[in-house]
Amino acid sequence: MLSRVAENLYWMARYLERAENTARLINSMTQVLLDLPKSAYFGWDLLLQIVGLDCANRERYPQADEDSIMHLLVSDTHNRSSILSCVHLARENARTVREVLPMEIWERINQLFLYVRESAPQAVKSRGPRYEMLNGVIERRESIIGLLSGSMSRDDAHHFMQLGRFVERADMTTRIVDIHFAVHMPDDSALATLTRERSWIGTLTALSAYQAYRRQVGVHVEAAAVTNFILKDRNFPRSVSYCLSELDQALASLPHNDEPLCALQDGRNRLVGTDIAALDWQTMHHFLDKMQADLGKLHSAIAAQYFHLHHTKAAADAAVHND
Amino acid sequence: MGKERSIELEDFPQAGIYDELLDDQAQPRPVARALFDYFEHIGPAELAARRDAIDAAIMGMGITFTVYSDAGNIDRTWPLDIVPRIISSREWSRVEEGLKQRLTALNLFINDLYNQQRIIKDGVFPLEVLAGSKNFRPQCRGMTPPFGAWAHICGTDLVRDKDGTFYVLEDNLRVPSGVSYMLENRQLIKRLFPELFKSNDILPVDDYPVRLYDTLAALSPRPGERPEIVVLTPGIYNSAYFEHSYLAQKMGATLVEGSDLITGDDDCVYMKTISGLSRVDVVYRRVDDDFLDPEVFRKDSALGVPGLMRAWRAGKVGIANAPGAGVADDKVVYTFVPKIIKYYLGEDAILPNVPSWLCMYDDQRDHVLANLDKLVVKPANESGGYGMLIGPRSTPEERTTFAELIRANPRNYMAQPTLALSTAPTLIDDKLAPRHLDLRPFVLQSDKLYATTGGLTRVALRKGSLVVNSSQGGGSKDTWIINVEEA
Repeated sequence: MLSRVAENLYWMARYLERAENTARLINSMTQVLLDLPKSAYFGWDLLLQIVGLDCANRERYPQADEDSIMHLLVSDTHNRSSILSCVHLARENARTVREVLPMEIWERINQLFLYVRESAPQAVKSRGPRYEMLNGVIERRESIIGLLSGSMSRDDAHHFMQLGRFVERADMTTRIVDIHFAVHMPDDSALATLTRERSWIGTLTALSAYQAYRRQVGVHVEAAAVTNFILKDRNFPRSVSYCLSELDQALASLPHNDEPLCALQDGRNRLVGTDIAALDWQTMHHFLDKMQADLGKLHSAIAAQYFHLHHTKAAADAAVHND
Repeated sequence: MGKERSIELEDFPQAGIYDELLDDQAQPRPVARALFDYFEHIGPAELAARRDAIDAAIMGMGITFTVYSDAGNIDRTWPLDIVPRIISSREWSRVEEGLKQRLTALNLFINDLYNQQRIIKDGVFPLEVLAGSKNFRPQCRGMTPPFGAWAHICGTDLVRDKDGTFYVLEDNLRVPSGVSYMLENRQLIKRLFPELFKSNDILPVDDYPVRLYDTLAALSPRPGERPEIVVLTPGIYNSAYFEHSYLAQKMGATLVEGSDLITGDDDCVYMKTISGLSRVDVVYRRVDDDFLDPEVFRKDSALGVPGLMRAWRAGKVGIANAPGAGVADDKVVYTFVPKIIKYYLGEDAILPNVPSWLCMYDDQRDHVLANLDKLVVKPANESGGYGMLIGPRSTPEERTTFAELIRANPRNYMAQPTLALSTAPTLIDDKLAPRHLDLRPFVLQSDKLYATTGGLTRVALRKGSLVVNSSQGGGSKDTWIINVEEA
């Protein structure tokens, strides 16, 4: 497989995953957090922190109200992480690798892009169409995943898409957890407990994890149990632990995987070696930062090994002998 | 016996113009009878509904082409008219023979030009035409590629004049495009009118990718092994990118850009893969000569592969079309093709050329300059319909400009009469109206010869327009070659 194609597949999968995650996040925040008491502070701008956009866009969106933040997250083409940008970039990457994808995949990605482009303007303006549009994104993305799972050979192309998908997902999961430690809770302690619970439900919902959590852990929603579940559960497909083991599987099938596997192992060691329940919000924040850095290093190792391999004429000569 | 039709015809019959489907009484020709019966059967509302369905399908499938001037808008969807263009298999087999004859002769001609130049020594082809050729590549002299074939993929543009005869308008020997649209058009029309395919004997077109693969595989320097074939594209911003990707996919070949390839000191070409370098046997390049190899041609080209020409000359890689094949894709060389066929094959051309005047000859130039308002003037080396003067549609200022251009560089211009291009009924709003069209079959040659069954029909969607290029408002039609009992 060409290095360039591997890189495009990786990014295509990352952008698709990001688009879907952002859609889920906005939906669940809209659902749950609007119930919060006025004295709790969990404004829309916190969404920007989750997706890592707060600083860069403060100037362009000084008022940070619902409309402008929805615009930024859903349809702003200057923001490369907006849903519209993500599906656009996924489509542009897919377009350059169409020949290695099942034909229908390209059609579905193209249709997803056309759908978002068409429905984004309405979705930004009011919550009804927004909910519908975001669900439309999630459904279409899921149909792409379903098609891939049923029609694509588990070849190198598939492995690189798995890498992109799970690096992105693990990163997003750590960010969604992180944000809760920055929430200002109301002074009234009863209200604070309620608020905290609501916001953790929001987190679980954003990850489609509420049901799985109830079955696995129980009906009581509290910080340590939720974070432990989201980070360490082996079976839930959006937990960081699960993502890392998917990455391990994908890498294991690729050639020359020593360096990326080594980078991945650092992250796995950190996760396994950390007692989540023992962390307070400050040490948790620090831990999540480290996890995100581990994922960044894993990304760099993948890129160095497969995308920007040092191909030289000397290497060409070397290749002749084992041709 | 005229029959009332529920689907309205507009502007039929037309005087002095041949229509592909309707005769001069506006009645369906034998090849089109079943089609028109079917249209009557489904009715105008259903026809319009299916047209809308096809537009939506094209949008959803992302079948696109690019227009260079549309800054910021990478792709436009491909306009397909739902009324097919139909030719009888009896007529087609003669055309097919003519196409194969023509490409065979052109390849002999190109090989001769880069070697002994017998045709010049024998006084059949003037040295001055060769000397003035932009597409003659001295770097290719002395080469004889496998099977003596230089142009492995040829797109020959055919038009029909008012008498119903097919004429060759031009031979595209550099990087002809459009075949993917021919294949996609058929897929779409099959989806749309499955009933027609059941009741008519419509010959299939979908063997092209396999034939193309075989044509390319025959060029591999390592016969006996499964060849590594790549399609070299200039990238996503090229107008034919869709096609490059499409053909790579259909052939199971790797789609590469110049930066994906490297030439080793062993003169072999390699591609950069996730497990290191991997040898390439055949490059189906969709990049012009100029950009192919910065070591040999344009130094500033980022699209090509340094050392590719060296590898080709060393016989370590096959390139299709061969560098330099474009020497025969020149509108002045075109005028000599009937003589070229006679010279190499000892046969008369089966497909006639459009009568042409060469501005390099004084008497012919005088005729052209005196009749600029009636003729179509074409530069030798442009493609895509650019840089032409269409006399009857031109302004006096444009004619003055062209007269100066011709006098300054007579070798670069030729002229032809304005043809009354044939038409076919085309669905415009809810009526069938005549629109002018041409036909581009694709012909392959390496160890074997092959011509597509029909080809890509391009249609000028604007009323009265003769310009069928997709970059200038053209659309396309599915082209049917059918077995029909002539009544």
